Amino acid sequence: MLKIDNLHAAINGTEILKGLTLEVKAGEVHAIMGPNGAGKSTLASVIAGKEDYEVTSGTITFEDKDLLEMSIEERAREGVFLAFQYPVEIPGVSNVNFLKTAINEIREHKGRPLISAKDFLSLVKQKSSFVGLDTSLTSRSVNEGFSGGEKKRNEIFQMAMLEPKLAVLDETDSGLDIDALRIVAGGVNALKSKDNATLVITHYQRLLDYIIPDFVHVLYDGKIVKTGGKELALELEEKGYDWIKSAE
Amino acid sequence: MSGTLIDFCKQLNPTPLNLPEALLKAAKDGIEFQHHFPTTRDEAWKYTRLGRVSALKLSPVKINPSADPLPSSDSIDIIFENGTWYCAQPTAGLHIDFSGDIDSIAWNACTLQGHVQHINALTAQGGVAIRIDANTKLIKPIRIIHRLNGEHTGLILHHQFVLDNHASAQLEVIFEGLGDDSYENILFDFFLGVGSTLHTDMLQQTKGTHYGFHTQRIYQRKDSTFALQTITANTHFTRNEIEVFSQEEGTHTQLYGAFIGQENNHIDNHTYVHHMAPNCTSDENYKGVLSHKATGVFNGKVKVYKDAQKINAYQANKNILLSDQATINAKPELEIYADDVKCSHGSTTGQLDQQALFFLRTRGISETKAIDMLINGFLAEIVGAVKSSHIQEALHTLLD
Repeated sequence: MLKIDNLHAAINGTEILKGLTLEVKAGEVHAIMGPNGAGKSTLASVIAGKEDYEVTSGTITFEDKDLLEMSIEERAREGVFLAFQYPVEIPGVSNVNFLKTAINEIREHKGRPLISAKDFLSLVKQKSSFVGLDTSLTSRSVNEGFSGGEKKRNEIFQMAMLEPKLAVLDETDSGLDIDALRIVAGGVNALKSKDNATLVITHYQRLLDYIIPDFVHVLYDGKIVKTGGKELALELEEKGYDWIKSAE
Repeated sequence: MSGTLIDFCKQLNPTPLNLPEALLKAAKDGIEFQHHFPTTRDEAWKYTRLGRVSALKLSPVKINPSADPLPSSDSIDIIFENGTWYCAQPTAGLHIDFSGDIDSIAWNACTLQGHVQHINALTAQGGVAIRIDANTKLIKPIRIIHRLNGEHTGLILHHQFVLDNHASAQLEVIFEGLGDDSYENILFDFFLGVGSTLHTDMLQQTKGTHYGFHTQRIYQRKDSTFALQTITANTHFTRNEIEVFSQEEGTHTQLYGAFIGQENNHIDNHTYVHHMAPNCTSDENYKGVLSHKATGVFNGKVKVYKDAQKINAYQANKNILLSDQATINAKPELEIYADDVKCSHGSTTGQLDQQALFFLRTRGISETKAIDMLINGFLAEIVGAVKSSHIQEALHTLLD
């Protein structure tokens, strides 16, 4: 589904990703772990298409299409979803209104009919209860006055509404208590299918107790330096990132 | 008869309105004194040039005094269309008059502040006088629509709106000027009696190189509430001057404004709130969105008089510039002579939130639509305060 080959990316002239290679197949859950500054969030931003980052060489293909050639919104319409590490607050823009527009833009892209008001409302009801997001929050302005946990739940709610093929969760565990973590992870697990894939970016092993990865990759200094099964996460937790650094 | 505005001022005498001698003299002196239009050296006109306006060759709109009845609708309509007044049948407690015989008691409270008002006093061709009897609560909104077509037309109107004690009403005012090099100077005097409430929504959406000068003067008595939402959408040239006189205790004043400018639009909002009595509140919030080479001005002044204690005056102005060549000149002013008041003001100008734009696009929303959404969101506070469904609809068409 997603193939990243020898990706180099820079921001303001500083190279952050230095030859990253990764393949994610449908039905798989991949975890990317690594110390601060390794390039984890840069990877998420580059996949989503953030224009601050410049891809200097390498390729990303998504479902055999050149992802780097697509605009941010085209990527989303093709099925790429980014759950933000720091969800943005947008005063005056209602959560449900923007989601309705998003769903319809995606449907239009796929040549499907627009969603009816009735179907949309029942979808909101179903998906919000599914991620434990208070329905009163769904009609409020995007993330305005939401707690940290509510903001993260709102990201997963959007993911549930948009049903992406590839979900990239950027440090979704940061700032979450155990209960919120469990709900968010439960949402991600329930959305998992043989047709979609998840890329979990995290600093700590903790989230991986709830979202069990098929593969764990260690990102260090812009490259993937080690790949293993879920036990690699435990090993990292025990030995710390210094272990990777010294092994280099 | 055609000529420049100053020619008008000199020729039109006496005016069709029954203005008191003293006011007329003051206006005349004002014009004579200036001999010409104010320049950017005048503080009140620092960011707005009048060169083009003073050179306009104008023919006055011929006013037809007969007011034809309009069929009843969901509002009480008063339509001014190219010189003719059309008016719905007033309901009980409501008086609508086009004779120009303006209430003399109300007039004595008037002050004439500047250039725009001087011109209006000397040349007003007419206007509508509306009076709502004491204790009357109007259910239907009153809607005044100004339609002006044709090039080089000059229209100067002076309206008066009186709410007697404990009356309440909702007013919608729409300006649909159309026609290049046309001039409009429309002044409203609002007199709010004790305990009265008036909610006013105003939409300025003129086309062509039209020059619009709009004054609203508001005189508030004890415990009255006045709320005004001014929406200015893509007008070539607009100068709004709003002056509030909070004369007695317990008044509340809300001045909200949203202005949207594009191309070479010039939109100037001047507000002046006089807190002359204690225990009053005012809430002012203006938001601007400017693109291309548009220019905006916000000058908000609040004066708290010496004995006006316990005043709560809030003023905010926020602007978004969508291009490098758009300009905003913002100047909040506070003048406080009382020592027990709460006054705040703030003005910010910036670009669209790039992180929010990125976020919306990652959800599949196109860049253009995402920008529209963010602008809508930015203006939501102001637009949300508009009660007029007619203006709401016009805004939806405009902002979508």
